[in-house]
Amino acid sequence: MPNPENPVTRRSRLSTNTVLTLVVLLAAAVVFGGVLLFNGSKSDGADGTRSGGSTVAADVLRKPDSNTLLDKPGAEVTIVEFLDYQCPACAGYYKKITKKLEEDYAGRITFVTRNFPLDMHPLAVPAARAAEAAALQGKYREMYHELYDNYLSWARTADGSQASADLNGAQARFDEFARRIGLDLDRFHRDLNSETVTQRIERDRADGRRAGVSGTPTIFVNGSEFSPSGETFADVEEQLREQIEQELAR
Amino acid sequence: MTAERAGAPAASEASSSVRRLGWLYVVGGGVGLAAAIALILEKLATLANPDHVPTCTLNPVVSCGSVMDSPQATAFGFPNPLLGIGGFAVVVTVGVVLLCGFRPPRWFWLGMQTGTTFGVGFVHWLIYSSLYDIGALCPYCMVVWVVTIPIFWYTTLHNLTSGHLTPGGRPVALVLARYHTVVLTLWYLAIVVLVFEAFWFYWRTLL
Repeated sequence: MPNPENPVTRRSRLSTNTVLTLVVLLAAAVVFGGVLLFNGSKSDGADGTRSGGSTVAADVLRKPDSNTLLDKPGAEVTIVEFLDYQCPACAGYYKKITKKLEEDYAGRITFVTRNFPLDMHPLAVPAARAAEAAALQGKYREMYHELYDNYLSWARTADGSQASADLNGAQARFDEFARRIGLDLDRFHRDLNSETVTQRIERDRADGRRAGVSGTPTIFVNGSEFSPSGETFADVEEQLREQIEQELAR
Repeated sequence: MTAERAGAPAASEASSSVRRLGWLYVVGGGVGLAAAIALILEKLATLANPDHVPTCTLNPVVSCGSVMDSPQATAFGFPNPLLGIGGFAVVVTVGVVLLCGFRPPRWFWLGMQTGTTFGVGFVHWLIYSSLYDIGALCPYCMVVWVVTIPIFWYTTLHNLTSGHLTPGGRPVALVLARYHTVVLTLWYLAIVVLVFEAFWFYWRTLL
């Protein structure tokens, strides 16, 4: 357009606008279409196989800074577990199911853990604080493993019959874990009761409630709640693996 | 500026741009007015019968009910659509008088600018609320979004290009005016993308 004053080119001025608008619309249509097609084909098969029916929003289940045991960028399968460190069933899941999943699916899936400390467990919140305080030093996974690997040493009474309420004893164990995984102990102590840690735990709890979690462990596979029908850990494990494999194959 | 530009063609172009604006006001304002009236009627029906399910409540995401019950729906202490009924009626009237040939003075245009700027600002605040606080979409409200944006945009362009706002800003205004639908399309697309992004989890379950 060498001469914008020319009435003849004024027409083409208008058409530049029209052309550009059409280009923008076309580009948008292509992008939208692509996104819809791509995601549509991914979840098409889901309706038949997804047992839970409705899914929970990804941003409820996982915040950008949520702790992970496995983190594969763009993973096809994301598992989210709402857990309580003092809950026996969670410890059972850990020992019999999720610890193995962590090893077997390393590099293939994303495994997110969220706090859902239950009121019935007096040490659940302190343990969650320990895990989050370790997370602030980049050692969440290590602390998670320490807490569950040594579950009996802090979470249960000496005879193992019930949930321990011995806060000092547990705290001493957490310090030991912290030293073992190489945390800066002073900072760990400061962080334990920090507002940041409180907020993170409360946020997880709130998200859990939004996702319909009422007990622990509650596991979501790609947004739909995993509801095992099996009686034994082995059955549950098999079902969970089956679901993961299905989602991976999709 | 050549004499050619300042002469008759430019004047007639300005006149036809005002006519187009007049049509936009009549049609856009009319649609907005209808949406505002529909919202008020739904509001009244809900007040009369708390169990009333608004016609525009289709599912958890497309739901006038949750939007109308939100605190944002009465931002100034009374239902927002009352503003729409007042505001859009003015827009329609102005459109009609523009089409009748009335060429308003600068102060009139500045008034339109103030009103439409408030409208577009308010609408964007409502869009934000709808997407991120309320988490629901209300179809009638979205109609208002759709018409308010071009009403603001073309009022602003008119005021910029005819020097009502800033006599110095004309070169920029001319570029914007030249690509007016590109800007408008990008504007709409941005909102569409935000809507999809905000409710992606929901759309996904529909596919």
